[in-house]
Amino acid sequence: MRKDSIVVLVLLLGLLTSIGTAAPKPIRIGLQGPITGAWAYEGEMAVNSVQIVADQINGAGGVLGRPIEIVIGDDQGSPRQGALVAQRMVSDGVVAVISSYGSSVTEPSAAIYEESELLNIAYGATAERLTERGLKFFFRTCFRDDRQGQFFASLVDDVLKVKRVAIIHDNTTFAKGLAEAAKRFLEKSPTAELVFYDAITPGEKDFSPILTRMRTTAPEVMYFTGYYPEAGLILFQARNLGIDALFVGGNAAINDEFVNIAGLDVAQGSIVTQEPLPTDLPYPEAKDFLAEYIKRHGEAPSTPWPVYAADALKVIAAAIEATGSTDSRVLADYLREGLKDLPGITGPISFDASGDRAGAIYRAYVIDDQGQLVPY
Amino acid sequence: MLELFLEQLVNGLTVGSVYSLVALGYTMVYGVMRLINFAHGELFMLGSYLGFTLLVSTSIGELGVGWGLIIIVLMVAGAMALLGILIERVAYAPLRKSGRLAPVVSALGVSIFLQNAAMLIWGSRYRAYPVWAALDRRWEIGGVHITLMQAIILGVSINLMLLLYCMIQRTTLGAAIRATAIDQETARLMGIDVNAIIRFIFIIGPALGAVAGVMVGLYYRQLHFTMGWTYSLKAFTAAIMGGIGNIPGAMVGGMFLGILEMLGAGYISAAWKDVFVFVILIALLILRPTGLLGERVAEKV
Repeated sequence: MRKDSIVVLVLLLGLLTSIGTAAPKPIRIGLQGPITGAWAYEGEMAVNSVQIVADQINGAGGVLGRPIEIVIGDDQGSPRQGALVAQRMVSDGVVAVISSYGSSVTEPSAAIYEESELLNIAYGATAERLTERGLKFFFRTCFRDDRQGQFFASLVDDVLKVKRVAIIHDNTTFAKGLAEAAKRFLEKSPTAELVFYDAITPGEKDFSPILTRMRTTAPEVMYFTGYYPEAGLILFQARNLGIDALFVGGNAAINDEFVNIAGLDVAQGSIVTQEPLPTDLPYPEAKDFLAEYIKRHGEAPSTPWPVYAADALKVIAAAIEATGSTDSRVLADYLREGLKDLPGITGPISFDASGDRAGAIYRAYVIDDQGQLVPY
Repeated sequence: MLELFLEQLVNGLTVGSVYSLVALGYTMVYGVMRLINFAHGELFMLGSYLGFTLLVSTSIGELGVGWGLIIIVLMVAGAMALLGILIERVAYAPLRKSGRLAPVVSALGVSIFLQNAAMLIWGSRYRAYPVWAALDRRWEIGGVHITLMQAIILGVSINLMLLLYCMIQRTTLGAAIRATAIDQETARLMGIDVNAIIRFIFIIGPALGAVAGVMVGLYYRQLHFTMGWTYSLKAFTAAIMGGIGNIPGAMVGGMFLGILEMLGAGYISAAWKDVFVFVILIALLILRPTGLLGERVAEKV
């Protein structure tokens, strides 16, 4: 090849790439999450997940022909920091924000986004009250706590096919909300009957009196909606009192520590209701996503939440593509009225009028003889 | 119904006897020194952790439930008694003459120090005692479920309390302790070595607390560095119920508290249990300000 033709080629290439980057301005989308702090692990996985989806979209030509740029804001899992990040996102002029992981952080941030009329989609904030305030610009790709209660009721009716159910919570906001939801849906059940409903005090160790009273109601299933330290003790003490009811825990009740405290022999066979782990999502989008995630980071995300952040970006991108607009008012209206069953990583996505995700996708997992969670 | 009540009674007495053992440590120190020893709950917690370490990292547990348990309990009780004397030396003895507030603040300081030390040594996650299958043996006697560990807790605590009671009431040492509790100055004039008595109190209290700690660890299996606080709150309540400063009062108060909690959780609602218990406590203190076995608290004029 001749020398001057190479020079021409290089010049041409340079011209082309400079046109390529200069012409379409990137669409900037915020990601507010706990990048540092106690939940830093969650924040890191959320960033990884969102980046994968952004790269996929950009690889396929972007949105409206423009690439997506992710602007990261670290709320440290703290409500105060969350408010600061939200203000920065607003003044930064992002188009929409994925925000955030915890309910208590999301609440003040969502209020600021609402005031500034900026679309924000939460990915881990499950408290019911967030969508009960009539916020116009707040949505979430994760499900509300009460949906888990509903899932438990259907598990009792359709899968376990048992009649007598006991529910115990621990008076914390989350556990009580979940227990009340489960109770509400069980009362509608044609076959199952709620025979026992009470609460324990977190931090205590002896639950024999309440369990002895529960035993007189002869439950076939006991559902504990609180956290794992008490869950392990309750199960262990129940077995000691001769209660052989199936133990079902909410999504905060069962993990390695639960197995450790109750002992593997006792814990084995217990069931947990929770969001599906990313590795158990059946959708083709999930399989592609997971393969890419493992390729980049060596292992799959270990909690359900990061993929909800990835789905939030898919939702925003789809809304911009469909409306041809980056105005949050147009986008929010579209999410409420127009978006139907967008194929997400966590399943089809639609929103109801309050901004909650329609439907509910929960899974029951059972503890196997190795102490691992396997799909029930 | 009767069987159910009996079983609930066993549940209540098991918890109550642990409260009693811990409450004894509070009430003895208060009786002799008029000091609320906030660090006592932490000694209970450390005893529990120490038992855990001995069980997990030595082979003492392999001696079986009988000897293994006895050796572990004795070792832990001894270690906590030493720690008790050390705390008294470092944190309370220098403040003996400096009013009542300074030692209380010092006690709070010791409590925070021990809690954080436990967190640094054993970590902030929950730890669990290993499963000791022999202890999970359970019987059903006439419809009443009882586990071996419940029986051990009840038996050991009641025996220890009886032993302590006899010692206080029947021996010369006991008489000296009672004399010191009534009036330190007069006791000193009668030739009683008050400092030795105080040291002795700081041996017995932590040792009893440590025994309770190991038994709680074996029964509930779950350990956390904040557990001392939960139990000391309950034990302190028990001590006040029984009449603080009064040794039989702490025993009765602990059992009474255990039974009240059982009635609340077992017959009313577990969610309202603490409300029930504390309403009764307040009513009791209005009717009998000095507690169930209220001692004439010697007013120092």
